Amino acid sequence: MAHFFVKNYALIEHTADIGIRVKAKDLKGLFCSCAAAMFDIIAAGCPDKAGTKKILKIKQQGSNSEELLVNWLNELLFLSATKALIFSDFKINKLSETDIEALVTGVSAKYCRVKTEIKAATYHALKIERVKNAWLAEVIFDV
Amino acid sequence: MSDVWQGSLEKIDDFRWRIPKSYKPGMRVPGIIYANEKLLKDIRHDKALEQVANVAFLPGIVSASLAMPDIHWGYGFPIGGVAATDIEAGGVISPGGVGYDINCGVRLLRTNFQYDEIKDKIKDLVYALFSDVPSGVGTKGDIRVSAREEKEILVKGAKWAVASGYGTQEDLECTEEYGAISGADPDAVSDRAYERGKAQSGTLGSGNHFLEIQAIDRIDDAGLCAEFGLSLGQITIMIHSGSRGLGHEICSDYVKKLVPSLKEHGINVPDRELACAPVNSSEGKAYLGAMRCAANYAWANRQCLMHLTRKSFERIFNMSWQEMGMHLIYDVAHNIANIEKYVIDGKEKNLCVHRKGATRAFGPGHPALSERYKKTGQPVIIPGDMGRNSYLLVGTQKAMEETFGSACHGAGRVKSRTEATRTINLNTLLKELESKGIMVKASGRGTLVEEAPQAYKDVNEVVDVVHNAGIAKRVCRMRPLGVIKG
Repeated sequence: MAHFFVKNYALIEHTADIGIRVKAKDLKGLFCSCAAAMFDIIAAGCPDKAGTKKILKIKQQGSNSEELLVNWLNELLFLSATKALIFSDFKINKLSETDIEALVTGVSAKYCRVKTEIKAATYHALKIERVKNAWLAEVIFDV
Repeated sequence: MSDVWQGSLEKIDDFRWRIPKSYKPGMRVPGIIYANEKLLKDIRHDKALEQVANVAFLPGIVSASLAMPDIHWGYGFPIGGVAATDIEAGGVISPGGVGYDINCGVRLLRTNFQYDEIKDKIKDLVYALFSDVPSGVGTKGDIRVSAREEKEILVKGAKWAVASGYGTQEDLECTEEYGAISGADPDAVSDRAYERGKAQSGTLGSGNHFLEIQAIDRIDDAGLCAEFGLSLGQITIMIHSGSRGLGHEICSDYVKKLVPSLKEHGINVPDRELACAPVNSSEGKAYLGAMRCAANYAWANRQCLMHLTRKSFERIFNMSWQEMGMHLIYDVAHNIANIEKYVIDGKEKNLCVHRKGATRAFGPGHPALSERYKKTGQPVIIPGDMGRNSYLLVGTQKAMEETFGSACHGAGRVKSRTEATRTINLNTLLKELESKGIMVKASGRGTLVEEAPQAYKDVNEVVDVVHNAGIAKRVCRMRPLGVIKG
């Protein structure tokens, strides 16, 4: 079970929007790190308060791993916007090229310093590739 | 972004450049870029020109893939891109050609005040507006609507707001599409989109959205200024916002649906974010119906924002907004796709005109304009950055002939947000703005640096190009006095 919430990404220079480049040992780590990077852009200073955490189950599908990554990130954005949560803990229970099932933990956005509104993860210049013994992903967000 | 675009670019004249159809196999039309030599140097430094070429792949595209002088790298379409597709010839509609903030747009109000009369009140006004107009990430509005009304807004747009007491009939006559585009289909909007847009009516949002108090600092066309009731030193107000979470989710929903259906329709595009479907297909019709809902929501939103602005002024000056002459000059969308008629090769055609970071700029006499603008042409509102200028222009006949009645939408970014954050010091920026007599209040300090004047092209250069190319005509220029950022 992959379990990540560390800062583990680089920002891609993009004139209008924001992109991330993420590396991880395996695909589960890659999906978790992309989500963690996205919420690192969105908010800062979320305290690790007991009692304010909320755990949600996410299931998403895609026709390949790149589209699955975009769907996973957009589902997290949707849940974050509608439930006013900032997610910081991602546990992927199942991951294939076309399916993901995960438990995600968030705290109420009111406890965080929300910096940036991300409208969506886009398909533009979207990339997942194997590099030596690791995986690399690039995602451009509309902000 | 340090790589310079090395593609083929032919100079047509001082303000027009062409990417030939032969640049990339699959381009159906050439790319035409409106820019001068100086702007082009910056434009070459990101991937915007490649995106102009990519848009030329869209099935049914006619004439050219167009780019305005504020063009910069977007996702799929460049920001500042215009593309029209012939519906009868299988022309497509692309959600990425509209963007995630559907009907992001801007409105301009006049007032009866002169700068000298209210210069000591700017601080009070900025604080009042910051307190009365909800702004920032994830904000909810004070204008509460029921679930039934939410659906009504998607069809009636700004007309709902006026019927609810947030404006007048005159406001609608001064709004593109009279504030409500027909053909909105609430059934094409997912429950998710409703949920994401809930309780956001009457909120400014964040990022580059703003509310600005300005003074007219240059008259470019005295006759048109007289027609619009504008004079040197007069105070104006500009509001920039969009369709908030509802629009974001509608775009996400339809890009997700259309990416897999590209193969089904036999469409080949070089970027998945250009996902599209024929306008006449079931997917195309559904997106158009949903997009129009978000467009109407955005017009209602800006109408509500204007109402809140008028109320703030009433509180500060203890006068009615009518006494202060706070009339709307115009409201324009700059992220939208519209079905419009144009003559192509001698035949009138129904085209789907995508304006992604571009403003409709209909010339005099156009039937879509209300009587008050039939003679002048449509007002075109071009916001700049928070430290320099903004403009009011009007559309021209030349725009109808060359750019499907379109002009630029702003200054256009030149620095990425990360570069701006790395290179601009917030305190220095605030001091610079203060020295120019500009007061700024923002929900997030990070936004201020990202939106600093240095992150943008000089709007004066951009507007020079559209004016000199003849696709819009300058009316007057404004300078900022007080800025509220989300």
